[in-house]
Amino acid sequence: MAVRRREGIAGYTFLSPWLLGLFGITAIPMIGSLILSFTNYDLLSPWSELEWVGVRNYARMFADDPHYVEAVIVTVVFALVAVPLKLGAALGVALLLNRNSRANGLFRGLFYLPSLLGGSVALALVWRAMWSKDGAVNGFLGLFGIEGMNWINEPDWALSTLVVLAVWQFGAPMVIFLAGLKQIPAELYEAASVDGASRARLFWHITLPGLSPVIFFNLVLETINGFQGFTSAYVVSGGTGGPVDSTLMYTLYLYQAGFTDYEMGYASAMAWVFLIAIAVITAIVFSTGKFWVHYGDQS
Amino acid sequence: MHRAATSHVTTRRSLLLAALAAPVLAACGTEGSQAEPESTAPVELSVFWWGAEARAKATEEALKLYTAKYPFVTFKTTWQGNQGYYDKLATMAAGGNAPDIFQIDDGALSEYGERGVTLDLTPYKANGKLDVSKFPESLWKYGEVDGKLAGVPTGENTPGMIYNKQLCADLGVPEPTTGMSWDALISWGEQIYTKSGGKVFGTMDPSADYKALWMWLRQQGKELYKGKAIGASKEDLVAWFKLWQGARDRKAAPSADIIHEANGGDVTKQLVVTGKAATSFLWANQITEVQKLSKQALGVVAYPGNPSAQWARAALYFSIARSSTKRDRAVDVVNFLVNSPEVGKLWGADRGLSANLDVRKAVADGLTDATQKTAFAFETDLAPKFGQAPPVPPKGHVKARALLITHAESVQYGKATPEAAAEAYLKEANAAIAS
Repeated sequence: MAVRRREGIAGYTFLSPWLLGLFGITAIPMIGSLILSFTNYDLLSPWSELEWVGVRNYARMFADDPHYVEAVIVTVVFALVAVPLKLGAALGVALLLNRNSRANGLFRGLFYLPSLLGGSVALALVWRAMWSKDGAVNGFLGLFGIEGMNWINEPDWALSTLVVLAVWQFGAPMVIFLAGLKQIPAELYEAASVDGASRARLFWHITLPGLSPVIFFNLVLETINGFQGFTSAYVVSGGTGGPVDSTLMYTLYLYQAGFTDYEMGYASAMAWVFLIAIAVITAIVFSTGKFWVHYGDQS
Repeated sequence: MHRAATSHVTTRRSLLLAALAAPVLAACGTEGSQAEPESTAPVELSVFWWGAEARAKATEEALKLYTAKYPFVTFKTTWQGNQGYYDKLATMAAGGNAPDIFQIDDGALSEYGERGVTLDLTPYKANGKLDVSKFPESLWKYGEVDGKLAGVPTGENTPGMIYNKQLCADLGVPEPTTGMSWDALISWGEQIYTKSGGKVFGTMDPSADYKALWMWLRQQGKELYKGKAIGASKEDLVAWFKLWQGARDRKAAPSADIIHEANGGDVTKQLVVTGKAATSFLWANQITEVQKLSKQALGVVAYPGNPSAQWARAALYFSIARSSTKRDRAVDVVNFLVNSPEVGKLWGADRGLSANLDVRKAVADGLTDATQKTAFAFETDLAPKFGQAPPVPPKGHVKARALLITHAESVQYGKATPEAAAEAYLKEANAAIAS
């Protein structure tokens, strides 16, 4: 008994850095924000002025805030377009690199590079410059005699530049796809080839099913990431979500509500709705899994 | 995988929430004892401002002058560009770590004053620890929020329309003048466009700029803010949006995407700097900064219309955190910064024209830089025409200001009619101010 308890103590001691982190910077603040989401907390006023406002913050989101609705639409459109394109690009490049060639290591590194730069501010700044009226993109289009527009300053196009930026950073899912491709038994391809299957059939009947658990994994991760896009929208729009709310991603609007409009109670409510929405979306993605994901150990 | 999902969701949240949790610990205390100002125990004051490199240098030097006077007082300075300044200040204040002394402008003074972040300086003014006797009365009063002195103006400043002087001469178009009507400006802009062969648009379209709208409203006897509501009617706003729609149609003002570049407020993107238009609607003292960025000679006049709509406006303020434990010393430092002729000379017009009139005169007499002279001359000429100062913009102004940009741009981009935009702006901005 005593030994057991001592082991228990030792276990928790080893866990303590993680536990401290979990409670100190995740769990307790989350509960705090849940409570604050029912108040008028404004970041600056003394605590004596804190008032319980019930579900007012939640009601306001859906009934009385056109910019919130705008932010939801922008975010959903972004995720719906960027995630499939990014996964498509990742899979395509992974297939190309899945050959035994000496240059592959180099190419893999090059394609992975944009992902390393990730959500960096520097990259977003470069992006903003590239897509401006006299930027590199228009310079390239100019070679073909096309006069490009002021991409990031056009409400109808600004979000597209963010989509392209997200798609370009396909390195992380690509690496996972590559690993997945190597797992597919070569015998299957050989057997099918002997039976005269075309390359398209090989892809459709062997590669895709074999890769489906990896596709599923990437889909879940990228969906969650996609909904949380912040840095690029913040930098490209200068923190405004403009022009005319066209790049007003959910997290950007949440940030504005909390830190520029001093409505942290409202921002907290938005964060909780966001958390629940992402959980629901993830659950839906999971529930579709049984129809199209094939695990190797299933017969 | 569920696990991975949740931890992803919580990372950015945890950042936000860390900021939420901190004030619980820090909010108490601090009201109690104050160090005697006469005490010579070493003390370090934190000072925070935004601005460019030149301002940082001048501020550091000014603070060194104070340290030379009182060697036991040292400073921990932090500065950054304008973007993100208030996010950082809010986070620090929420965490109970507001800097002892911080720079603020009239856009945010009420946000911080009404919420009690700033120390009420009225008692210090009464007991002479803070001397504003040499300030124009309307100027220090423009630091009052709800009857409390929330900030000390560092200097006086007014909105100024900065224009490309060189271009006027090259094209043979007369320069704009203070007092010219808005319609005259638009016709002038049309001339610039035509005579430059369509290379340069005449004037920036300031319909998203609250300063310009405010001036235009005051010229009709109205105000942008009337208590806790927008002072403009829907008809006013429709007329305002249509005025500039007309200007864009006549090519006096550029297209929406170009206007949007300047609406962000970044000085380097202003159209008079990038050469895309011949005017920019800024602050008069910004001419020194803008001139450095431009190869062509620039000039400054008041915003169009009757200049009596202008008032002695505080360029910036210094506020002291109510949570500061070194209040008396901080007040003394601010008192030094706004009243010392040496500091006045160091700063020139960077934080507006010195609020202390004696200092201002001393600074003006010693000026050598041509652009600074222009800025001083502009303000001196305008001063006798000033009208009555309105109250400082109310709490919620920051959001209302952003809403004007969104809705004015929706008209510029043709995404909304002037009527729809006016209605939406009024509804949302009123809600932002009332709360």
